[in-house]
Amino acid sequence: MNNDVLLDIRDLRAGVEGKQILKGVDLQVRRGEVHAVMGPNGAGKSTLGGVLSGRPSFTVTGGSVSFDGRDLLAMSPEERSWAGLFMSFQYPVEIPGVSITNFMKAAVAARRKAQGLPELSPAEFLTLLKEKMGMLQMKGEFARREVNVGFSGGEKKRNEIFQMAMLEPTLSILDETDSGLDVDALRIVAEGVNALRTPQTAAIVITHYQRLLDYIVPDVVHVLKDGRIVRTGGRELVDLIEKEGYEGIDG
Amino acid sequence: MDNRVYVIGRDTVPQYLRLEAGEELMMTLVMLPGTDLRIPLEVDLTGPGASLDLAGAYLCPGAEHVDLRVLVKHAAPGCRSRQLFKGIVGGTADAAFDGLIYVARVAQQTQAYQENHSLLLSETARVESRPQLEIYADDVQCSHGATTGYLNPDELFYLRSRGIPEPEARCLQMIAFLAPVLNRLPEELIEEIHAGLS
Repeated sequence: MNNDVLLDIRDLRAGVEGKQILKGVDLQVRRGEVHAVMGPNGAGKSTLGGVLSGRPSFTVTGGSVSFDGRDLLAMSPEERSWAGLFMSFQYPVEIPGVSITNFMKAAVAARRKAQGLPELSPAEFLTLLKEKMGMLQMKGEFARREVNVGFSGGEKKRNEIFQMAMLEPTLSILDETDSGLDVDALRIVAEGVNALRTPQTAAIVITHYQRLLDYIVPDVVHVLKDGRIVRTGGRELVDLIEKEGYEGIDG
Repeated sequence: MDNRVYVIGRDTVPQYLRLEAGEELMMTLVMLPGTDLRIPLEVDLTGPGASLDLAGAYLCPGAEHVDLRVLVKHAAPGCRSRQLFKGIVGGTADAAFDGLIYVARVAQQTQAYQENHSLLLSETARVESRPQLEIYADDVQCSHGATTGYLNPDELFYLRSRGIPEPEARCLQMIAFLAPVLNRLPEELIEEIHAGLS
């Protein structure tokens, strides 16, 4: 296992519309690791995902985030994607009029351009698309559908993992990917995530429940409460939360 | 049904059309960037069972002045008309849409729908939409709707988070907005519109 720190969050403070939500978060993720960030509603879990992916509605008021040695907070959302960061949205957005194929074509082309790689030929792109769809057991018609339009909750989440597979990120952040999924969809999503694991990549699974963590087993578990990480441990922390809830867990 | 496509400023656009009994017309108007225009168009459905499917796209990203005046007159029973006008207005451009659906007393069982949607790209762009219904028959189905809005910031962020640069993401959003009208156009014209927006 490679011990490089891929993501280094230090004393991160952030909020939305003047309200302080993250009150000093410290978190280090190394290559090859899967981290879980768990916490009750309102703890700041989604804010953490939003700040890391560069959502404009959040304001960073202090601290630093280094990603693969670069200042993540200074980068635009698209630059973060090119650098290898991917966030699976809790609420994927519907984009009527844009097919999944065209969406991914634009995304893959922009990223290859930013990385100085030659453009994929239409045949090469199609091969990549089919390979990733096959991995997630998606049918051919899926690629022609408009992005997330009329998708069930499970289909939206599966589409997120499909995009993740297409973009081959170094760091994946899964924001409440388990919400709205039945057990079968959950298993497919988890299998996709696990299949994409390599010693060079890492993932952060943000979740309220332990359900997804039965399928994606984390190396490190953090408990986020009221904008701070109050406890960090191993898998056993998941069982403790399951048994005792979040009330009993403090720093 | 054949689809008559007119690029304003390039093609000669009829100002008055008449649809006789059972006649069907599909017509699409395209206003490309950089054109100032005033378009009066009247379509009369004068024979029973005539059908009109009219759509238009106006692209005004700069300093264009567009004034669209559409009158659809139902003068016979059992006719159908459907109108969809969508446009993008930015810079200091202004676009006005004035659409009247007139249903005469004899035109029972009319079905007439009209929609006008605009996307504003700047604070200085202006859109004025005046959809109107004038109905003298009592057994009809008519509706009209108009909306004006900005590009959805959540969509934009979603696209950018996948590595699509902001200008290209905005362009994709605009294409998506116009899609129901663009779908009616030949491929070369769609490409010309893509190029005009990026």
